Amino acid sequence: MHRLRYYLAMPSVELEIDGLRRRYGPVIALDGLSFDVPSGQVFGFLGPNGAGKTTTMRAIFGVVGLDAGEIRWRGKPVDEQARRHFGYMPEERGLYPGMKLRDQIEYFATLHDMDDQAAEQAATHWIRRLGLAGREDAKIDALSHGNQQRAQLAVALVHDPELLVLDEPFAGLDPGGVDDMRQVLAERAAAGVTVLFSSHQLDLVEDICEAVAIIHHGRLVASGPVEELRRGDRPRLAVQVGGDADGAWARSLGADLGEVEAVRPGGTVLISLTNSADSQRILDLARAAGPVEHFSFEDRRLSEVFREVTGASVGQAEAEHAAAGAGR
Amino acid sequence: MNRQTRMTWLVARRELRQRAKTRAFAISTVVLLIAVALGVALPAILSRNAKPERVGFVGGDAATATGIIAEAGRLAGVKTAAVSQPSVAAAEAALRSGDLSAVLVGDTEVLVKQVPLGGVSGGLATLAQVAGLTKLVQTVPGAAAAVAHGIALPVRGLEPPSKPLSSRLTGLFTVVLVWIMISVYGSQIALGIGEEKGSRIAEVLLSSLRPIQLLVGKVSGIGLLALGQAAAMVVVFVIAGFASGSTLVHGAAIGIVLTGGVFVVLGYAFYCTAFAAAGSLVSRQSDVNSTILPVQLPLIIAYILSYTVIYADNANVFYRVLGFFPPTAPIAMPVLYAAGDVPLWQVVVAAALLAVSTVWMARVAAGIYGRSILRTGARVKLREVLSR
Repeated sequence: MHRLRYYLAMPSVELEIDGLRRRYGPVIALDGLSFDVPSGQVFGFLGPNGAGKTTTMRAIFGVVGLDAGEIRWRGKPVDEQARRHFGYMPEERGLYPGMKLRDQIEYFATLHDMDDQAAEQAATHWIRRLGLAGREDAKIDALSHGNQQRAQLAVALVHDPELLVLDEPFAGLDPGGVDDMRQVLAERAAAGVTVLFSSHQLDLVEDICEAVAIIHHGRLVASGPVEELRRGDRPRLAVQVGGDADGAWARSLGADLGEVEAVRPGGTVLISLTNSADSQRILDLARAAGPVEHFSFEDRRLSEVFREVTGASVGQAEAEHAAAGAGR
Repeated sequence: MNRQTRMTWLVARRELRQRAKTRAFAISTVVLLIAVALGVALPAILSRNAKPERVGFVGGDAATATGIIAEAGRLAGVKTAAVSQPSVAAAEAALRSGDLSAVLVGDTEVLVKQVPLGGVSGGLATLAQVAGLTKLVQTVPGAAAAVAHGIALPVRGLEPPSKPLSSRLTGLFTVVLVWIMISVYGSQIALGIGEEKGSRIAEVLLSSLRPIQLLVGKVSGIGLLALGQAAAMVVVFVIAGFASGSTLVHGAAIGIVLTGGVFVVLGYAFYCTAFAAAGSLVSRQSDVNSTILPVQLPLIIAYILSYTVIYADNANVFYRVLGFFPPTAPIAMPVLYAAGDVPLWQVVVAAALLAVSTVWMARVAAGIYGRSILRTGARVKLREVLSR
């Protein structure tokens, strides 16, 4: 259904990330990163910590300079004029701790060219929409963590941006907060806004976004509609035969049918099918080995997609990044 | 208003609104204004109840001399006591020791220890005039008609003239004002920028503002607040001075306050961007105090040394150099002027030097600020941001 909508709607590319390069001393943060973000859908920008997501987002707002490459919005290089219509929620939240919630939201609205009256109306709208009504006069540092996150989101949304960029918006949110955030993002996307958000928790957000770009070491490693990536080039079959905890039956599988990707604890065998494979033949083989307890096509998780294309898990990539940081 | 100016104004307006409504600002303003009013009015009020001024007289008719001294005291609003002196030499000795305030020498002159640099004024001028008139009326028949024109005996000082203490005290007031304004508001700039950097607000702000707009908006917002507070202090100084009849606001002292005002503005302009740059180097707001200390150092030195100049007759060459050196000029030059150690043209030269170096400082500081405001991690070393 999602996939169908994706192709039928043929979303137009609004934001183009083209060949970005950025080096911090000996560290290469971006290494020729390119991908396109279409409008009207929630687009996930995924990768382990240290992959270059934050640098890319900062570059969109011009707060980080680039060594090479270009970022285009609606076909033109992003400039100050374009950025007035962007909304940004950085990874490290930033609000004035001693300033009242309403004053703060209004201030950021005026910085995006709204007059005082429009800023007041927009602040009122977003305070209500994000469930902050009654806290208008509270100082930011008197708000709960969740409400501070909402205030930060309100600041990014208050001027009704055409592009919404959120760096790790789900980090530190409770399940209720995740649901609220997801709803707001979907709502904005449905209103035609281009929504780009980053996350290092690939599996947590795979149901939230329609399309993703996955990066590693400052390079794009996979991109496209989430459903397509999860299905992959070759469909995956999960089969469990009762009494065979090691999945030994699958060793007799011929190369013409597919290859064993992994055996889960408990004996479920994951088989990557060849394009010409007949799943019923595999079912026959399994039944010959014992009672078939489970037999289904199964999509990959995005973290598995990451491991497939990089050869390392997200956790390993992050550990490697942390070790490199400590060694410097 | 074009967009650049509007953005800068929005930043400045936020600073003004947020800071002006804090309790700390209200309390500090009230305390400062009360301190100024008391500082000016109290000495004047106390002097009314002070013990009588002892005025000596030598030669001439004792009754006339006593009458002149009493009348001069009445006119000037000062209690007086006439003290007969055996000789001019004895009177001079009493003047030097401080036992006497002035001596009326027959009908020829008035002697004082030191004629104020700004000229004779107050009770002394009255004494000289009353004595002169008395002489005229007694010696020239029909001279009473000419009395209306006024005539005064010459006033001779035993020591070379210098600025009166009241001018020096006005100078001290001015210097304290400059010091408070620059260091308090400078620290506020640095702390505010440390807050924006430490809590990463800068990143959100700089996604819609240029660093220079944020910098200029911040220092001008805080600057307007400082200027408002300084202006209120000067107004209270003048009002309290006139209302209490304080000698602090007469003649040359107003010039000293105006000079101080010019140097408050120039000094703030010179230092505000330096404080901003210092604030942008920290990674946490709590580290600000250590990075602004080097910025404050020239001011601290000039401020401490100013006490030696205020109470001395002649400033040393070192302090005179500090008067022209832009980082110390905002404090040193008003002090030198108040103590009468420099003529006005030198004050103007120092102000011009300071104004020119303000432009230079703003450029360097804006560069440092722009390069370090978004740097995360450890405190940024000055060498790193200067070398790029």
